[in-house]
Amino acid sequence: MKSTINYIRFSLFHRFCHFLIIISFFGLVLTGVPLAFRSYAWARWLYELFGGYPTAGYIHRICALITFFAAFIHFVYLFYNISVRKKRGFFWGPNSLLIQPRDIFDIIGDIKWFLGIGKRPDFDRWIYWEKFEYLSLMWGTLVMAVTGLILWFPVQFTKIIPVSVAGIIDLPSIALIVHRYEAILAAGFIFTIHFFHTHLLPEKMPADEVIFTGKITEEEFKHERLNQFKRLESQRQLENYKVAPPSLFVTFLARLFAVPMLIIGLIMVGFMFSALLVWAI
Amino acid sequence: MGYISGKNMIGRLSSGFGKFKLLASFTIFVLMIAVSPTLLTAGDNGHCLECHTRPDKLKVSEKAKIDPVTAEIKVASMLIDEAAFKASAHGGQDFFCIDCHPDLDGVDLTEGHKPNLKPVDCITFCHDDPAEEYLNSTHVKLMKQNNKDVPTCKDCHAGLTYHYTPLGEKSPRDVPRGTDPLHRKLTIESCGSCHQDYFDSYRNNAHGQVTALGHTTTDVPVCFDCHGKHKILNSSEPESKVGKDKILETCGKCHANANASFVKHVEHPQIKNVGYYKTLLAAVKNARNNPEGLKKVIKNPQTILCIVFVMYIGILAFTFSSFGLHSLLTWLATVRDEFKRKGHADEEHH
Repeated sequence: MKSTINYIRFSLFHRFCHFLIIISFFGLVLTGVPLAFRSYAWARWLYELFGGYPTAGYIHRICALITFFAAFIHFVYLFYNISVRKKRGFFWGPNSLLIQPRDIFDIIGDIKWFLGIGKRPDFDRWIYWEKFEYLSLMWGTLVMAVTGLILWFPVQFTKIIPVSVAGIIDLPSIALIVHRYEAILAAGFIFTIHFFHTHLLPEKMPADEVIFTGKITEEEFKHERLNQFKRLESQRQLENYKVAPPSLFVTFLARLFAVPMLIIGLIMVGFMFSALLVWAI
Repeated sequence: MGYISGKNMIGRLSSGFGKFKLLASFTIFVLMIAVSPTLLTAGDNGHCLECHTRPDKLKVSEKAKIDPVTAEIKVASMLIDEAAFKASAHGGQDFFCIDCHPDLDGVDLTEGHKPNLKPVDCITFCHDDPAEEYLNSTHVKLMKQNNKDVPTCKDCHAGLTYHYTPLGEKSPRDVPRGTDPLHRKLTIESCGSCHQDYFDSYRNNAHGQVTALGHTTTDVPVCFDCHGKHKILNSSEPESKVGKDKILETCGKCHANANASFVKHVEHPQIKNVGYYKTLLAAVKNARNNPEGLKKVIKNPQTILCIVFVMYIGILAFTFSSFGLHSLLTWLATVRDEFKRKGHADEEHH
């Protein structure tokens, strides 16, 4: 039986950011990936579905602006909490999303668990692969934003470069290649690794609603992040995180949103993988 | 006895054929009365379209044409799609069928016209300037040197037809305008049929990937937008549209304020061309004997593109193999734990 005790894991702000990223990421992938897989019929169909040229390009740019907005409010949030509210723990400790020494022990523990010579490590608030996903999202967004802007304003960007250098370093062409393969990396990563690590685990199927409702049951909390649970318990802070369980309606809404997104993502990765197979064969 | 002798069959066929003949001559007879005497005159397409839009009025609605060089047989429809004609480059107000088919000028149509017309001569009276430009271009000279068949006007601009096939499929080659998206799309393929390397590299470019998705309006450049039409010159020649003197103007047609750095852009990236990687490796191998060769390769903007491409393929392969394995192992270990827990639960139950 599911425990009725729930704890808050993601604040409204974090859930809103994740929602913005989902909307913009799917918009970007669905209008951008057809260009990378231009010779396949599904790519043509998808491109037409989003209005073809130039409409699909406009949708792509609007979604890029949403991504920029999400990144902007994220960094405003970080700046506000670090320098105005003087909150600590963003760079060091269990609440930090940066790599910590304990992550190395977690990785070793995880490998032992995979091989069956140890039990699942007791993780803290952020598991090492979650940190990796966060950091690669930050890095990926930066790369995609810079190369995307170069492709958006090629004339203006090349103006900065002296002619002698431009003959060796062709900025728009480099931007196109980086943008294309970083996009395949990002889309492929989110639709396989992120999906299978967080949402499509046997215990989470069909989706992990925690990022949508913000609430985690005590049972899940102890199973997933026992270290954080014990830490908060010993610090007598656990009570502060206790919340009422999400209503059935909210859980239903979360699934209603998440499941189609997961299916679309899996279909996309299926298309991309089939292209890889066609190329390999 | 459910058996028809050969003789009988021939008899039946010939009688069927006779009926057809009768019908045909009757039709012609009716036509003769209806339109006689009809003399074809300049300034009117009406007489032509009267029959050439209706298969029942034509003696022959399809003709086989054999290419004298390749012996390829094409079926040409004798039917005219008036809308396609009107939309074509020749579809203006003052242009008429007999301008291209002058051997029908003043012909008496009472009994129809002769079956085989002379091939259309585009050059002599109308298009002598572009033809001269074309025939004297380096492009054609090189083709002649290399014993390639030089395309004629009709190979690119029009073939058989403003005519459509009886299946209703419109011919793509109806002297379309340069702005016609279908025509623009087909020209990419025509150029690509000889210039395979350039076709492939164009498809890897920002412009080529959009046209590959089927968008070939004038917003997206096809081959001839940058390289020119009749006078295609090597980029090393100053007169060339992609040469030193004119490149700013050529790119500037779409990219307002194109600058000298912008026009250094590589339109044909070699990232997927194995040949270029071979020259790269060869240059590195011969670096000691030929340092100039290595310098040249390093200064080629293609080199950086190839390095970035290979790097990304490496990143992709590494990320997906390592994290794929990680996900798989997480999955398996989770399933294993679930089984164990269930086993325990069952034992407790008993």
